Amino acid sequence: MAKNNIFPIILFIFIGLFTSCEADIDKHSPSAGDADLSTFVSLGNSLTAGFMDGELFREGQHNSVANIMAGQFMHTGLEDFNQPLMHDDIGFGNRLVLAQVEGQLLPVPIGGTPDPGNYENIYDAEGPFHNLGVPGAKTQHLLFEGYAALNPYYGRFAANIATSSILGDALVLNPSFFSLWIGSNDILGYALDGGEGDNILPPEEFRAAYQYLVQQLTQGGAKGVTANIVDITTIPFFTTVPYNALLLTDPDVVAALNMAYAEAPHIEFDIGPNPLVVVDTEHPAGFRQLETGELILLTALDGIQNENWGSQVPLTAEYYLSLEQINHIAEAVNEYNDIIHNTATETNMAFVDVNELLREAEPGIYFDAIGFSTDFVSGGIFSLDGIHLSSRGNAIVANEFIAAINTQYNASIPKVAIGNYPGIIFP
Amino acid sequence: MRKCIIMVAFLLATSTTIYAGGYQVSLHGQRQLGMGLIGTSLALDASATFNNPGALAMMPEQLSIVGGINGVFGSTAYQMETPSVYQAKTDNPPGTPFHFYVAGMLTDRLAGGIAVNTPYGNSLKWEDGWAGRFLIQEISMRAITIQPTLSFRLTDMLSLGAGFVYAIGSVDLERALPVEGPGGEGQLNIDGNATNYGFNAGLQFAHPLGFSAGLSYRSKIMMEIENGDALFSNIPSSLASEFPAENRVDVSLPLPANLDFGISYQVTPDLLLGMALHYVFWSEYEELVFDFNENTSSLPDSYNKRDYSNTLIVRAGGEYRVTPAFYLRAGGYFDPTPVNSDYFSPETPSLDNLAFTGGASFMPSSNLSIDASLLYIIGMEEDMRYTPENFNGTYSSRIIIPGIGITYQF
Repeated sequence: MAKNNIFPIILFIFIGLFTSCEADIDKHSPSAGDADLSTFVSLGNSLTAGFMDGELFREGQHNSVANIMAGQFMHTGLEDFNQPLMHDDIGFGNRLVLAQVEGQLLPVPIGGTPDPGNYENIYDAEGPFHNLGVPGAKTQHLLFEGYAALNPYYGRFAANIATSSILGDALVLNPSFFSLWIGSNDILGYALDGGEGDNILPPEEFRAAYQYLVQQLTQGGAKGVTANIVDITTIPFFTTVPYNALLLTDPDVVAALNMAYAEAPHIEFDIGPNPLVVVDTEHPAGFRQLETGELILLTALDGIQNENWGSQVPLTAEYYLSLEQINHIAEAVNEYNDIIHNTATETNMAFVDVNELLREAEPGIYFDAIGFSTDFVSGGIFSLDGIHLSSRGNAIVANEFIAAINTQYNASIPKVAIGNYPGIIFP
Repeated sequence: MRKCIIMVAFLLATSTTIYAGGYQVSLHGQRQLGMGLIGTSLALDASATFNNPGALAMMPEQLSIVGGINGVFGSTAYQMETPSVYQAKTDNPPGTPFHFYVAGMLTDRLAGGIAVNTPYGNSLKWEDGWAGRFLIQEISMRAITIQPTLSFRLTDMLSLGAGFVYAIGSVDLERALPVEGPGGEGQLNIDGNATNYGFNAGLQFAHPLGFSAGLSYRSKIMMEIENGDALFSNIPSSLASEFPAENRVDVSLPLPANLDFGISYQVTPDLLLGMALHYVFWSEYEELVFDFNENTSSLPDSYNKRDYSNTLIVRAGGEYRVTPAFYLRAGGYFDPTPVNSDYFSPETPSLDNLAFTGGASFMPSSNLSIDASLLYIIGMEEDMRYTPENFNGTYSSRIIIPGIGITYQF
C-alpha cells in the first residue's frame, strides 16, 4: 500500500513546479544614486526643445532629448516635467515632411495653418516649464533678460516677456538637477551662412558665459549633466552634397562648359564627377572649382539640380564652406568642447561626448537591432532638416545622457528602447 | 498557474510547434520521456527504431506499435540590457510534436520498423511590437522525419541496425523592417519548404544479467530551402522598388548530427536505472543566410552569424514497476545551450536547460499500455548579446510538456 502513495507525492511535486509555468525575470530596480532628480530643468537650444524636421511641433517635443530623459527620471523620483507644448504638429509652420517630387524623395513643407495659440504666451495658463530649450538660442542668450522679445520660441513661454531670462526661469524652480547642452548655435550661425554672416563667438566669451551658467545653476547645490557640441563634418546638412556633385556624361556638355570658361584656364570639366564652380573673392579670377574636403550646404541642392549652380552659374559664397572656414569651425568646436569638458570635470558634473557618439555613428551603427548612420534621411539619426536629430536620434542621445549620469552619480536610471520611438516616415 | 491550465485545454487543437535546446526536440516516446529522455540503451519497443536502430532487434515482442503526442507550453522572457526596465515575453502557440513507430521481427534475428516523428523544430511568437521585432517577431520551423529501418541481432548480446531518414522541413518567419510609412512599419515574411536525406545507425549490447549499453549516430541533414517566398508588406510606396513585394529567398539550416551513448541496468525485476550522453554537433550551424533572388541597395543578402558550439547533454532516469500493470518513471537532464552568447538571437532563445521528467504507464491488458509523461524545462536565466546588431539583454524560459501515448505489442 505504501508504494501507491508515491504517485500523489510526485504529482504534488510537479504541481509545485508548474506554479512557475511562465518565464519571469526580476525587473531591474532603478536608482538615482547620489543625484536628486526630484526637480529637473533642461536648458539648451533646439536639440533640448525637441525641434526637428525644421520646426518645433508637439510630437517632436514629446520626443525631445529632455522629455525622454525626464520620462526615465520618473522611475527614480521625478514627478513632474512640464514642457511648453505647441498646440499642434505644425508649430510655426516650417515643418518638413518627405514627399515624392518628380520621382525624387525630398523634404517639403507640411502645409496647413498653425493654431493661433502657438503664437501666444502660455506661461500663465500652463507654466512654469521645466524644458527651457529654446530653438536658436546661443550661449549668451540664456542669460539675456528680454530675450523673449527677440525669439518667438522663447516668447511663447517666458515668465515675463520683457524681463525674463532662460536661466532666470530655470533658477526660479530651484532645480535639484539640470541638463545644459548649449554652444552649437554660436558656431552653427557662422556655418549655416557659408561663413558669410554671423561670426563665431570667440571661445573666451563662450567660456565666460558657460562658466557663469554652470555656477548659477550649481550654486544651490544642484547636480547636472552637460554635453558637448557636434563638429559639422558629421551633420548631413553639410555632408550630403559632395564637392564634386556635377556629374557630366555628355561630351557635348563638357565641351560647352569648357568653352564657356575658356577665359579661365584653372576651370576644367571632364566626363564624370566634377568639382563645382564657386564664387571666391580671394581668388584672382573671382571664382574657382571646389577642392576635396570643402563642404556644400544642403540648401544649394535645388539650385545645383535646377538652376545650373556650380556649373554655368558659380555657387555663391553663402552656399559653401572653404577649407579655411572649415578649419576655423573645427578649431572653435574643439575649443568649445574643451571648455565644456573641463567645466564638467571641475564641477563634478556628468559629461556626454555627443561629438564622439556621432563620429562613431557616421559609418553605420546598430542600436537595439536598428541600423543607423549620419546619412541624410536614410541614416535615421538626423531629421529631415539635416541639422537636428530625429526622434530616434534624440532617444539615442538621451540614452547617452542617462549613461553619463549613471556613471557620474552611481545611479541606475533605465535607458529607453530606441525602437519605441518613431522613425523617419516615408510617403 | 491559471494560464497553464487554460492552455492545457487547447492542447490538441493546434498545429505542430516544437521547442527545446537549439531547435532540436527530443520527445521520442512517452516511456523514454518519463526517464529523463534516456533511450539509447533501451530496447523497450518499436520506439527503438528512432532512439537506437541497433536495439530494435532486441525488442522483446514480435510486433510493436507506439504512438504518442506531446503538448508544448513554453514562454520566454526578455529584459533589455540593464539599466532598463523594458521587458517582453513570448506568447507562443502551444506545440504538438508527435511520434509514431511500428516494428516487428521479420525473422528470428532480423527486425524491421518505421519511425515517423518530429526531431527538430522551433516555434515562438514574441509580443506584438516588441523591441526585438527587427530580428524576429514570430517563427515556426519544424522537420518531420520518416525513417524505414532494419536491425539485426548478431548474437544474444549484440545487435546492430540502421535506417534511412527522409526529412521534410518547413520554415515560416516574420520580422519587422525598420522602414516606416504612414501605415506603420514594413514586414517581411519568409516561408519555405525543403526535403533531404540522412541516416540513423546504432549498436546495442545487452548482458543477460540486466546490463545494457547502446550507441547510435544520426547524421546531419541540411535543410536547403530554395525559392522560398519572401513577402514584403506594408512598405511605403516611395520605397516599393527597394523591397520587391514578391521576392524569393534561399535559406539553409542544418539539422545537426547526434552521437548518443546510453547505459542501463535492471537493478531488480521492478527497478530499471539508466543514463545517457547525447553529443550534438551544433557547430555545423555557423551562419543563417537569407539569399534574396532580387537584391536592391536596401535589400542585400543577409548574413547572420550564429557560431553554435557542440553540446553534451547528460541524462539520467529510472522506471519502477509498482504493480504488474502500473509503472512510474522519473528522470532529468542538463542540456547546455549551443548558442554563442555574443550571437544570441531571440529567434532561437535557447538557454542552458535543466529539466525534470516524470511518467507513468497503465496496462489494461498485457498487450496494451497507456503511457503518460510530463516534462518541465527551466531555461536558466542568463545575460546574452546579439553583438552584430547591438541587441542585448537577459533571457529566461519555462517550458512544460505533458504527453500521452499508447504502446500495443504482441
